[in-house]
Amino acid sequence: MATVSTSNRLASVPTTEPAILVVDDLVMRFVTADGGVTALDHVSFGVKPGEFLAVIGPSGCGKSTLFNIVGGLLGGYAGAVTVGGETISGPHASIGMVFQEESTFPWRNVLDNVGFPLEISGVPKRERIERARHFISMVGLDGFEKRYPSELSGGMRQRVSMARTLASEPKILLMDEPFAALDEQTRLLLGDKVLQIQQQLEQTTLLITHNITEAVQLADRILVMTYRPGRVKRIVDINLPRPRTSEIVSSEPFGRYVAQIWNDLREEASRGLSDAETRPLRTHDKPQGQP
Amino acid sequence: MAEIGRLTGTRNGLGFATPVALLRAAFVLTALMVWQVLAVSGLFYRDVIPSLEKIWTALIALVSHGDFYWHLGVTFQEIAVGLVIGALSGIAAGLILGGNRFIAAVFEPYLYYLGPTPKIIFFPVMIMWFGVDSGSKIAMGALSCFFPITLNVAAGMRQIDPVLIRVGRSFRAGPWQMAMKIYLPAMRHPIVNGLRLGLGVALIGTLLAETKLSNRGIGFLVIQAYNNFDMPRLYAVLLVLFVLAIGVNALVARFGRLDEIKYK
Repeated sequence: MATVSTSNRLASVPTTEPAILVVDDLVMRFVTADGGVTALDHVSFGVKPGEFLAVIGPSGCGKSTLFNIVGGLLGGYAGAVTVGGETISGPHASIGMVFQEESTFPWRNVLDNVGFPLEISGVPKRERIERARHFISMVGLDGFEKRYPSELSGGMRQRVSMARTLASEPKILLMDEPFAALDEQTRLLLGDKVLQIQQQLEQTTLLITHNITEAVQLADRILVMTYRPGRVKRIVDINLPRPRTSEIVSSEPFGRYVAQIWNDLREEASRGLSDAETRPLRTHDKPQGQP
Repeated sequence: MAEIGRLTGTRNGLGFATPVALLRAAFVLTALMVWQVLAVSGLFYRDVIPSLEKIWTALIALVSHGDFYWHLGVTFQEIAVGLVIGALSGIAAGLILGGNRFIAAVFEPYLYYLGPTPKIIFFPVMIMWFGVDSGSKIAMGALSCFFPITLNVAAGMRQIDPVLIRVGRSFRAGPWQMAMKIYLPAMRHPIVNGLRLGLGVALIGTLLAETKLSNRGIGFLVIQAYNNFDMPRLYAVLLVLFVLAIGVNALVARFGRLDEIKYK
């Protein structure tokens, strides 16, 4: 699918700069025991080079489905995802995924965990170690190269996962609630780390989250999704100064953005809460095929 | 590690003089004393319970004769070859069963029913297929360890954390890379466990086969001593077997522990 034909649908992308990642009219249905669930309903948006876009929505809005589709791990949808104009049909070299779950390899030390994508792409050992060390240092884990994940805290392990994905030098960093399992303080501090890295690398980032503070703290734009079926409800520009740190959470404009997003989200979240049929989409629910 | 120390009671800084260790030593000494008293009491038929001196003499005679080491080597080789064959085929079968639900649904019930069946009943068949020499013993060892290894590997493959597979896919690892860098290392515990269980039953299968029909190996020495009613020698061979079994177990346990320290 050519980007040209899709770009006029992307009313939400405000500038003329072409998006590097385009999600075009995605529709995804799952077959469940009692019929079907539409996880994504005509979702379209674009992410520009260097931009940080956060996708926020209540539980059950299809955020994780979106993550898996953009990451190329899930098929059976209608619509298209393009990276630099190229339609993806599986995991794409330009997209690096950071998972919500604990995903470090317990049998590899930090250095070998971070070097994993380089090993896969056949980078020679010496260069691999050098590059892995670079990204380990970037996430602030110098001195932990020889430690195993079981010897690290949850926050440190998530930093290892992030360094591992950064080591593959993706054009687009795709993260699915990477700090969901962490406590609030660790989450804010890791947010600082993400801001710092993102500014340093000018890293195009797509963050999936349900945490409003996290989204406002990190993003240039926030896409609010509706509760099932997942649609784009609103896209909010976050005009907070950069470079940012976690100190911004106490500022007055920050509070206004949080309130605004929560206004949008509250309706959706309460719909999800009152939905008698609420059950999370299970991973073994089968895609229905092209709807 | 501290917990292991507490359980075995040998690693709390007091060396070997812990209550547990002392009681263990006392138990062994008492057993030896009772044995010796029974031996000299004359209550039993000649040499059914030989005196400790006789067993000791027989043990010295046994281990100072070159033949013994040749028999030991034969048994060792049979177990090793049997284990390698059983392990390779077991791991391969386990990977197929673990990776394909359909095949698993068809074949796994057979494995579950055949697994606990005493493999010695297949020994006559093995003799016909592989001959009376080492071949049938190796087959018994391989047959014995195939089942626990297969079932452990299959179960282990199903227990792999799915997110690790998604990580591999997201970095676009090929099938071979997925197998070598994700599946196999992720399954290291069930594989080591399967090999541990497999080694145990391979030992049993091989030795049992040697006692049934053979002219070499440790099992043969046992049954030969029995047939000659050379009880001191019989006990001496058994003692050596105990020591070897304990040694092998300790080695495997050590292997398992190293694995834990390093990875988890």
